[in-house]
Amino acid sequence: MSTIAEVKTLVETGKSKKVGAAVQGALDAGLAAQSILDGMIESMGVVGEKFSAGEIFVPEMLIAAKAMSKGVEVLKPVMAGDNATSLGTCVMGTVAGDLHDIGKNLVVMMLESSGFDMVDLGVDVPADKFVEAVKENDNVVLVACSGLLTTTMPALKEAVQTVKAAYPDMKVIVGGAPVTPEYAAEIGADGYAPDAGSSAAKAKQLIGA
Amino acid sequence: MIIIGEKINGAIPSTGKAIAEKDAEFIRNLAIKQTEAGADYIDVCASVDDDIEMETMKWLIDIVQDATDVPIAVDSPNVITCIESLKLCKKPGLFNSVSMEGDKIDAAFKAIADTKWECVALLNSDKGIPKTAKDRLDVFHDIMAKCKEYGIDPSRMHIDPLIEMLCTSEDGINMVTEVIREIKKAYPTIHVTGAVSNISFNLPARRIANQAFAVLAMNAGMDSFILDPLNKDMMGMLFATEAMMGEDEYCMEYIGAFREGIFTK
Repeated sequence: MSTIAEVKTLVETGKSKKVGAAVQGALDAGLAAQSILDGMIESMGVVGEKFSAGEIFVPEMLIAAKAMSKGVEVLKPVMAGDNATSLGTCVMGTVAGDLHDIGKNLVVMMLESSGFDMVDLGVDVPADKFVEAVKENDNVVLVACSGLLTTTMPALKEAVQTVKAAYPDMKVIVGGAPVTPEYAAEIGADGYAPDAGSSAAKAKQLIGA
Repeated sequence: MIIIGEKINGAIPSTGKAIAEKDAEFIRNLAIKQTEAGADYIDVCASVDDDIEMETMKWLIDIVQDATDVPIAVDSPNVITCIESLKLCKKPGLFNSVSMEGDKIDAAFKAIADTKWECVALLNSDKGIPKTAKDRLDVFHDIMAKCKEYGIDPSRMHIDPLIEMLCTSEDGINMVTEVIREIKKAYPTIHVTGAVSNISFNLPARRIANQAFAVLAMNAGMDSFILDPLNKDMMGMLFATEAMMGEDEYCMEYIGAFREGIFTK
């Protein structure tokens, strides 16, 4: 027997070895899978906020996400076929000419933990690859483009504008060390997040979740 | 990583003065401070004349046990003092120390064989401190033969390869690191310990040399350190080195120690 509060504490403290059993315990106690999942998503929101505030460090965010995925593994068979849990699909990649993946991976992890189905295109992704991915995947509601180099800022612009030309209503979020909110607005992106911790909150806000 | 807090030792002038003046509050404070700084053992060494050593040890041990739950390292060159002192301890600690000098090791091992006490063993013998790695390892193997005889598991042993001052060494610390590597190769679960600050005797800016030594010794396999845990730079260096060696998944120990204030920005 476990409570959602226990599951949440285990996620927030990154106890990946214990979360699975606690989630199972919560299910056994008759708690709804959806409310357990919501609890874990809420925890990752807290983790993201703490990271953005500088209270916790990257590895702590990593192990929290890892812990959550252990919990989700237990919920998956119970919730199979239940699409109500997804916020939709997000296509993400680091733009052409840029090979940085750590920041992008952290954002993928945080968005996944907040309820998006993630399609990770990897690094050095040409602009039209983002468009193709929107076409090929179901229910894409968000495109996320990462750029870590000042020299790849033009590629970021091209990626955003190519997606917008093909899908004018698609929400596009950008980020990366040299990116500023002003630059994001200038190249036509809908949103900007300064770090992985705040990316999930911004992404949800953009799609009105 | 095991930290043996060295501050309660009468050979340190301020502690010696507190012992002479029976300043219990001073000793108590050292025990508490070292506990907060993450010490795994609190070393207690009277460093007084023989005729008052035992009563001094009792006085110190009582104060330390009252102040903290951290186990005690009973420390005396006199093995009988260590044996008598361990009887005063409420929980198993660290016997500091034995060597292959005389028949001390038999008396000590007899006393701790059927307990959970761990033990520091120095690599010297009746012939003094061996000069070469081979000779030190010979002493080491003699000690391990005694462990076997008394049924003491290697994981309870903290081998002190004997750290000598760097400034008169001709090969830096290469001989000692060779000894450390061989010890760990022979017995992977054994601990290798040492008084870190010995390395910097007669050098200026000793803390810098101490840190460099700690990093390299740890890389060779040293995992138990007799030092001042209140030295935050040193403690941070140890946690950082442990992480660099791949022994701290996701740097959680490093981050945790930072958060506890064991080291600072």
